[in-house]
Amino acid sequence: MSIKTYAVAIRDVLAQEMRRDQNVFLMGEDIAEQGGIFGCTRDLLQEFGDKRVRNTPISENTFVGAGVGAASVGMRPVVELMYMDFLYLAMDQILNQAAKMRYMFGGKVKVPLVVRGQQGIGRGNAGQHSQSVESLLMHIPGLKVVCPSTPADAAGLLRTAIRDDNPVVFIEHKALYATKGEVPDDPEFSVPFGKSNVVREGKDVTIVGNYLYLGKALEAADLLEKEGISAEVIDPRTLVPLDTDTIVESVRKTGRLVTVHEAHRTMGFGTEIAAQVTEKAFKYLDAPPARVGAKMCTLPFNLGLENAVVPQVADIVEAAKSVLYRM
Amino acid sequence: MTKPDKKYSRETLLNIYTVMKQIRLFEETAFRFFQENKLRGSVHLCIGQEAISASVTELLDDDDYITSTHRGHGHGIAKSRDLKSAFAELMGKQTGFCHGRGGSMHICDLDKGNLGANAIVGGGLPIAVGGALAQKMRNTDRVTVPFFSDGASNQGTFHESMNLASVWKLPVIFVCENNGFGISVPISQSTSVKDIAVRASAYDMPGYVVDGNDVFSILNAFEKALSRARAGEGPSLIEAKTYRWKGHWTGDPEVYRTREEVAAWMEKCPIKRFREYLLSNKIAKEEELDAIDEQAAADVAEAAQFALDSPEPDPAHVMDGMYVEGAYPI
Amino acid sequence: MAERIIMPKQGLQMTEGTILEWLVPEGGAVTEGQPLFKMETDKLTITIDAPVSGTLLKIVKEEGETVPITETIAIVGAPGEDVSALLADAAPEAPDPGAPPPQPVPEKAQQVSATGAPGQRKFITPRARMRAEELRVGYESIAGSAPDGTIIERDILQAAAAAPRATPLAKKTADISGVPLEGVVGTGARGKVVRQDVLHAAARKPAPAAGERDLQPMRGMRKIIADRMKASLDVTAQASHRISVRMDKVREAREALDKSVGYNDLIAFATVRALMDYPQMNAELTDEGIWRKNFVNLGIAVALEDGLIVPVVHGAESMTLHMLSEQAAALARKAREGQLLPEEYAGGTFTLSNLGMFGLDEFEAIINPPEAGILAVGRIADMPVAVDGRVEIHPVMKLTLSYDHRLVDGAPAAQFLARVKEYLENPYKLL
Repeated sequence: MSIKTYAVAIRDVLAQEMRRDQNVFLMGEDIAEQGGIFGCTRDLLQEFGDKRVRNTPISENTFVGAGVGAASVGMRPVVELMYMDFLYLAMDQILNQAAKMRYMFGGKVKVPLVVRGQQGIGRGNAGQHSQSVESLLMHIPGLKVVCPSTPADAAGLLRTAIRDDNPVVFIEHKALYATKGEVPDDPEFSVPFGKSNVVREGKDVTIVGNYLYLGKALEAADLLEKEGISAEVIDPRTLVPLDTDTIVESVRKTGRLVTVHEAHRTMGFGTEIAAQVTEKAFKYLDAPPARVGAKMCTLPFNLGLENAVVPQVADIVEAAKSVLYRM
Repeated sequence: MTKPDKKYSRETLLNIYTVMKQIRLFEETAFRFFQENKLRGSVHLCIGQEAISASVTELLDDDDYITSTHRGHGHGIAKSRDLKSAFAELMGKQTGFCHGRGGSMHICDLDKGNLGANAIVGGGLPIAVGGALAQKMRNTDRVTVPFFSDGASNQGTFHESMNLASVWKLPVIFVCENNGFGISVPISQSTSVKDIAVRASAYDMPGYVVDGNDVFSILNAFEKALSRARAGEGPSLIEAKTYRWKGHWTGDPEVYRTREEVAAWMEKCPIKRFREYLLSNKIAKEEELDAIDEQAAADVAEAAQFALDSPEPDPAHVMDGMYVEGAYPI
Repeated sequence: MAERIIMPKQGLQMTEGTILEWLVPEGGAVTEGQPLFKMETDKLTITIDAPVSGTLLKIVKEEGETVPITETIAIVGAPGEDVSALLADAAPEAPDPGAPPPQPVPEKAQQVSATGAPGQRKFITPRARMRAEELRVGYESIAGSAPDGTIIERDILQAAAAAPRATPLAKKTADISGVPLEGVVGTGARGKVVRQDVLHAAARKPAPAAGERDLQPMRGMRKIIADRMKASLDVTAQASHRISVRMDKVREAREALDKSVGYNDLIAFATVRALMDYPQMNAELTDEGIWRKNFVNLGIAVALEDGLIVPVVHGAESMTLHMLSEQAAALARKAREGQLLPEEYAGGTFTLSNLGMFGLDEFEAIINPPEAGILAVGRIADMPVAVDGRVEIHPVMKLTLSYDHRLVDGAPAAQFLARVKEYLENPYKLL
């Protein structure tokens, strides 16, 4: 076990997997000498050389597409998008090619591609560099969507992603790169997809959140505890596949669900979870599920405005109390 | 300095000098504010590249369009000649060009013909093509100038936009500011040609390589492209070779270049060179230029103070501007 | 081979039954076809015969327990046989003895609406409903603590905790015998009060000494009423019909009249018209034969502090609604003030009795001879009504007609009652 940052945890798994499998290689903007603008590929050029750590031109649609092609003939490319906002520039290659290729070709091809990069608020990057894309990707059949919230999950889920034979979009969060946590040293350590993590046990209300909002949900849980409310906090970890069983089981116990995320509230992944819980545990609900998420507003540059768009800890507390009729 | 192909008025030349100076001081102030934690977000400075914005926009009118980039302070200031709105936007204030919604990378001023700065590399090029299409369809002789970078010249949108502007003979003057790097990646690693301007031949339009730190080198080529565009003969591509003195953003570790390389380019300072030209050709006296410098410093200081004193946008109105009809409660 | 005795389903609607009495003690011999236990459902009380012969090895459900159909209630087999496997099978479905005790659903017919205005919809969350069913807590009278009075889980849990720990049968027995449950010592599982405990408590209740009794003299009006009612039942052949009437239109009509008339006036008016349509119901048995009258003297029962009197609106068949209303009001006032003249409470041809104001849904009245019938009027309450295959809530009133079968047969009595309903549901036909 070592204490690592989220960024280093990712870098180390990339290195371990490149050592293990010659087919694993990296492509992306500023990933070679620069080591990625968030340092997730730092020093990999020195160990693996410029053939396996490739700087690309600023041509997202093209270099993601090159990853799709290489994967379809047996390579295991890990392609970095500097900002997940740039995913939209490569959307054709991701949703029309990578996601659909195997199905359209009658199940005769594998596309073991990982597209990874970071998203989210935290650096005042305004509308085109702060978005959350995971909910949108959940709507595309053929992709897996992974959302690590801790250094250990980043490491364990990335290894699973690289070894997965399907296209995986591995979404990191820029504001988590510097967070530290214990990560197993075992080069085989992995976290399976489709297994939600009950981060904190409670009995009165179930709060589901990820990324920064896992931490904020835990903060909210502390505040709620002072008011005699015991909150269970669950991190879904992967959105495709999504482990609703763990969440449903929790709601059977608590009778109340609050979902929270930085992504926009409308059609955010919390909407899907709320719908599934309502379908699977309707009679256990003691209140309608509450969804907490960003307003349907472009992420503004100004910090005060940004805070007005994304949820705050107080919003989570309020939602939890509202489903407990404790307003 | 290149010799000018035509004679420019003293006023035109001093305007160019003034704007270059304003941009330089504006960027230096922004850099200082960032270091003093008065600015948030990424701030991409164009120090060293001022001649291109100042020269090109001096030959344009308000109803000629530009599009701009993440490194767009210079374009915005030069086109609008409005330091206060630019600085206020950098600080995310209500009085900024975009009322704090855009910030450093999204300066926009439709009244002065700035169709907006774009934080997607190459994102502004198709928009510029659309602006020029409108100008042509309205039978005007107006032109659109998309500013973009060497990095953008590797985007699909660059090639698609060049082709469309050419096949439709649109009044687009593609101005590529080649500063040598896409963040950390040198152009040699990212770009298949030494001179981006040669790509013009693939789209059957004139391509010019100019010294981006030399006002007359820029003006000479731009005059030709402008005549061709205003005459309805179609687009041109100008590659202005230049260099950014600062990192990609404030805080860039700059592992991709040496201090010596930066120092060498600073010797080719476009403002210093133009000032020497103005003096040696007796267009302006030392004290006149000093007075311009002082006024520019005062104007920038006033703009910065204006930004500092301006109100924050009201979070109660955070949704304003999402839709023409106003905000929807969703 | 031991066998399970289950709670047998009796009739299509039965979902559970209450064991009243085991007729064979545990360990006793059971013979197939001989009575084994008595039980009751919401519809009937019945003695169930043993389906097999053997020894009653184990009584799983004690007297007073309410058991869902098909659940194991006892085991019959050979003496000494191991029944643990069968008991284990039965266990998962057995109620948790530690759970809060069940509570009977209050019987609406006997209860004045306790939860605000009639027709106010009751909201309950899915979880609270589930919990209420598990704990058999009736939630109709619980005030919900969430917005809109919505009942949530904690309301159900609180209600369950507050209820005395007693079996439904014990509670019912306590209600009937007037024994407060709070004072009864329970001998059931974990101190739960069973029926036998209540009976014991009732038996212990000392009878008051003669000097302490509250005695009312049997004379005057009390005596007259007693004699007349008894005579009525002795002489007439009383039968009754019941019908439900939707009161939406009457309510609307009353609103249209600015509430200048009461519901009872409208009901009286409709009754008069129906009596004119069906004179069989407006008849009297005389020595000469059955006299069908072509006039209506409508008696309208008025409750008094110490009894009952029936003032009569004479010639009601020729009155307008407002005249009828005014006459009835004037007579009722005089009745309460003790000012009625003898002719004002004599000569009636038919009687109307309304106890809806006491919250009764329906009741049966005794005919006032020599009249041929009496119409008993219950309260107007919002009830679920099937409309075009959907359940809707509408104001409904129940009418019970007692008629003298000597004068009138079931069919014409039914037609009369249906006509009253028709008028009330289509008040414009009264115009």
